[in-house]
Amino acid sequence: MSYVIRRLLAMIPALIGVVICIFLLTRILPGDPARTLAGEQADAATVEKLRVDMGLDQPMLSQFFGYLGDLLRGDLGFAWHTGHTVTADLATRLPATAELAIVSILIALIVAIPLGVLSAVYRDRAIDHIGRVISLVGASMPLFWLGLLAIYLFYFMLGWAPAPIGRIETGVNPPTTVTGFYLVDSLLSGDMVAFTSSLKSIIWPALVLSTGSIAMISRMTRSAMLEVLGQDYVRTAVSKGLNPGIVVGKHAFRNASPSVVTVVGLEFGQLLGGAVITETIFSWPGVGSYVTQSIMATDYAPVQAFSLLAAVIFLVVNLLVDLTNAAIDPRVRNA
Amino acid sequence: MRVTAKAVAIAASVLLVTGCSANANTNANSTESTGATTITAAYSEGGTTLNPTEANDVTSDTFVLAAYDQLVTYATEEVDGKQVANTAEIVPMIASSWEVSDDDTAYTFTLRDDIAFQSGNPLTSADVVGSFQLIADSSSASFLYGMAGISTVTAVDDSTVTITLTAPNHLFLQILPMYSFSIMDTKLIEENGGAEWLATNTAGSGPFVVDSWDPSTEAVLSRNDDYWGDAPALETVNIKFITEASNRVQLLSKGEVQLALEIPAKDVAALEDTDGVVIDSRPSNKILYFAMNNNIAPFDNELVRQAITYAIPYDKLLTDVMQGQASPMTSSVASSTPGFTADGNNAEYDLDKAKDLLTQAGYPDGFTFDFTLGSGFQDWNDDAVLIQAELAKVGVTMNITNMARAQFLEAIATNQVQSYISRWTSFVNDPGYHLGLLLTSTGTSNYANYNNADVDSLWTEASTEPDQEKRNELYGEAQEIINEESPWAYLYEYNIVVGLQEGTEGYTSYPDGIVRYAQLSVN
Repeated sequence: MSYVIRRLLAMIPALIGVVICIFLLTRILPGDPARTLAGEQADAATVEKLRVDMGLDQPMLSQFFGYLGDLLRGDLGFAWHTGHTVTADLATRLPATAELAIVSILIALIVAIPLGVLSAVYRDRAIDHIGRVISLVGASMPLFWLGLLAIYLFYFMLGWAPAPIGRIETGVNPPTTVTGFYLVDSLLSGDMVAFTSSLKSIIWPALVLSTGSIAMISRMTRSAMLEVLGQDYVRTAVSKGLNPGIVVGKHAFRNASPSVVTVVGLEFGQLLGGAVITETIFSWPGVGSYVTQSIMATDYAPVQAFSLLAAVIFLVVNLLVDLTNAAIDPRVRNA
Repeated sequence: MRVTAKAVAIAASVLLVTGCSANANTNANSTESTGATTITAAYSEGGTTLNPTEANDVTSDTFVLAAYDQLVTYATEEVDGKQVANTAEIVPMIASSWEVSDDDTAYTFTLRDDIAFQSGNPLTSADVVGSFQLIADSSSASFLYGMAGISTVTAVDDSTVTITLTAPNHLFLQILPMYSFSIMDTKLIEENGGAEWLATNTAGSGPFVVDSWDPSTEAVLSRNDDYWGDAPALETVNIKFITEASNRVQLLSKGEVQLALEIPAKDVAALEDTDGVVIDSRPSNKILYFAMNNNIAPFDNELVRQAITYAIPYDKLLTDVMQGQASPMTSSVASSTPGFTADGNNAEYDLDKAKDLLTQAGYPDGFTFDFTLGSGFQDWNDDAVLIQAELAKVGVTMNITNMARAQFLEAIATNQVQSYISRWTSFVNDPGYHLGLLLTSTGTSNYANYNNADVDSLWTEASTEPDQEKRNELYGEAQEIINEESPWAYLYEYNIVVGLQEGTEGYTSYPDGIVRYAQLSVN
C-alpha cells in the first residue's frame, strides 16, 4: 500500500511540469484567438473587446496564475468555440473516447496476444509470417489513411459498415445515460436496438484504431515468448512430458507477460493520440475530435485540459502497469 | 472475492431497476424520424452559439435564421429556373411596412400585431428596442450596428418603432435582414438572466424550434406549428456535423443525407453522375484576390502591380484548381453584386505584356518578393504554386511562407504583409459595404494599404446618396479607378456548391451561403 501512495505522490511533480509546459506551449502557438473567434470581417475594436472578455489582455504571468487557481478549484476554463465550459464538454465527450479506446484495446488484446504466442511457438512457419505482415501493415499505415480506406471500402462500396456519423445510427435513439458508455447503457436498459446499433457503429473505428496496438503488442508478445521458450525450465517441463499447451500457456506466458503488460499500458496511452485522428474521420463525438476543433480555433482552455487529461491518463496507466507487474512477478514487489 | 460478489449484486440491482423502465427505443420511435417531411443535412462544423448577435459561422447562422425572424428580409426571385435572393429588394417580415423621413435619417416601422414568440409572449415594439440594444452591446454584431449608422431606437407605441440614423445610410436597410439583427424575446431573456443565456437557448419567433444541439454530433430543428407566417413544409431537420469532406460526399451519394454543404470541387463531377443526386452550383459573391501591399516596394509602383495581373494563369486556376466550380473575377466587386462594373480591367494571361510592363517599371530582370500563404484551403495552396511558376517565367521570384490560419489572420491585420491571397464574402451584398471595408483608405480590412483619394471621396459621396442608380454610378467610377490601379489581381469568384438529393425542392441561394430550411420541401 505504501508503494501505491509513494507512486501517487511522485505523480505530483510530473503533473506540475506538465501544467507549465502545456500553458507555455499553447501561448507560444502563433495566432490571436480573439481574431479567429471574431472572424475576418470584424474591426479592430471588436477584436480588442473580445480579447478583454477572454482575458488575453492580461500579462502572461497573471494569465498563468489565473489558470493555476482555476485548475486547483477544478475549473478547466471556458471553450470559446463551443460556448460551454470545458468541464461540461469533456463530460459529454469523454465517455465516447473511453468506450472507443477500451473496445480498441480489447480487440488488440484478443487479436495480438494469440497471434504473438502462436508466432513464437510456430516460429518461421505460416502463422509467424502472417503475423509479421499484419504487424507491418498495422505499424506503417497512417491512421487517417486506413480510416478513410475502411470507410470507402466497408461503408461506401460493400455497405457492411453503418454511415460513419458517430456512436449510433441515424434514427436510433441513444440509450438512457447511466455510465455514458452506449454499449453498457443499452444493456442496462435492456435496449437491444440501441446495443446492436452502437456495436455496429463502434466496431469500425475501434478496428482502425487498434491496428497500431495489434502490431506492437503481437510483436512484443512474440519476442518475449521466444526468450522464455528458449529457457531451461521450459525445456525441462517439455521433457517431463507436460502437455505443450500447459507449458506455453502457464509456464511460458506467465513469465513473458510483464513485458506484454508494459507494452499494453503504453499502447493504451497512445490510443488517445490515435483517437484524435480516428474520431475526426469517423465523426466520433469524443475528446479527440474536440481537441482537433479547439486547435483549429486556437481555443486554449480545451487544449490545455486535453493535454493535462492525457498526461494524467498516461501516469495512471503506468501506475497500473507497475502494479500489475508487481502482482505477476513477486520480485518487482519486493524490490 | 467478497468485493466481486458485492459488485455483482450492485450490477444486478441496477439491471433490475433500469431494466423495467422504458428505454429509448421500445416505443417504435426508432423509425419515426425517417418520415417524408424530415430531411437530414451534412455540415462540416457544429456551430459555436445560438446567440444571433454573436453568431458568425455558417452553422450557427443557420440555427439563428431558423429560430428567429428579422424586421425585414431579402426578396427572392427566379433566375434561369433557380430560386435566388434579390438582395437589392427589401421586403416586409416582422415589420409590415415602413416609412422613411424626407432627410433619409429616420425610419418608422409598423410591426405586425399577430406575431408571438415561440415562448408564447407577443412580439411588441419593446422587443425590437431591446433586441437592438443587445446587438449594440454584443461583441460580434456591434460593428454592423455601427456600420448601419443607427443613432436611436424608440418605441412610438406597441406596434411602431422609429429608428434614427446619424446620417443618410443606404446600408441600413441592407443590414437589417442579416441574422445578427434578429428580433429577440426580451422578456424571456430577462427572465433567464440576460444575453449569456442565448448562447445555448433560443428566444425567437422563427419557423423552427431548435430541439437539440450538440456541436460534436448533430442538431435537430422541428417545425414551429404556431408560426405566424407560411408554415414550413418540413417537420424535422436533422443537421449532422461531419468534418471529413469525403464522408459528406459518400453520405450524399448513398442517400443517407438529403443535403450536403461544402462539397469539394474535385468531387462535383462524380456526384453529378450519381443517380438521385443534384448538384446546385452557382456563382456567389465570395471572391478570391491576390493582394499586393501598396506601401511596400516594388508594389508601390502601379506598373509592377499591373504586370503581375498579366502573369496570372486565370484559366488554369478556374479549370485545374477549381475544376470549373468558380467564375472569372473581373472587378474588385463581385459580378453578382448590384453596381458591379468591369470597366478599366484589362487583365488577362499575357506574359509578353507582363514583361513589357516590368521593363517600363524599371524591373527588366524581375524582382523577388514575399508571399504569405494562409492554411486551411487547398485551392489557395494550388493557386500560389501555379502563380509562382508563371511569375518565374518573367523573372519574378515569389517566396512563399506558409502560416496557420490564425497566425495568417493576425499577420495580414498588421498591414505589413507584402502579398497574400484571401477570400472575402460581403454578407451585405452592396459595393458600399464591400469597398468600404476593403479598399477605402480607412477600411478596416484594407490590409494591402490601397489609398486613393478619389476612390475615398466617391465612396463617401455614394454612401449618403439615396438614389440607387446614381449611387451605383459613383461606385462604378470607384471600381474603374481601382481596376486600373490594380491593388489586387483578381483570381476568381467561388461557386456555392450544395449537394441535394433529388426531390429536395425549394433551395434558394443567398449571398451568405446559408440554407433557409423554411423554404425547403421534400417530394
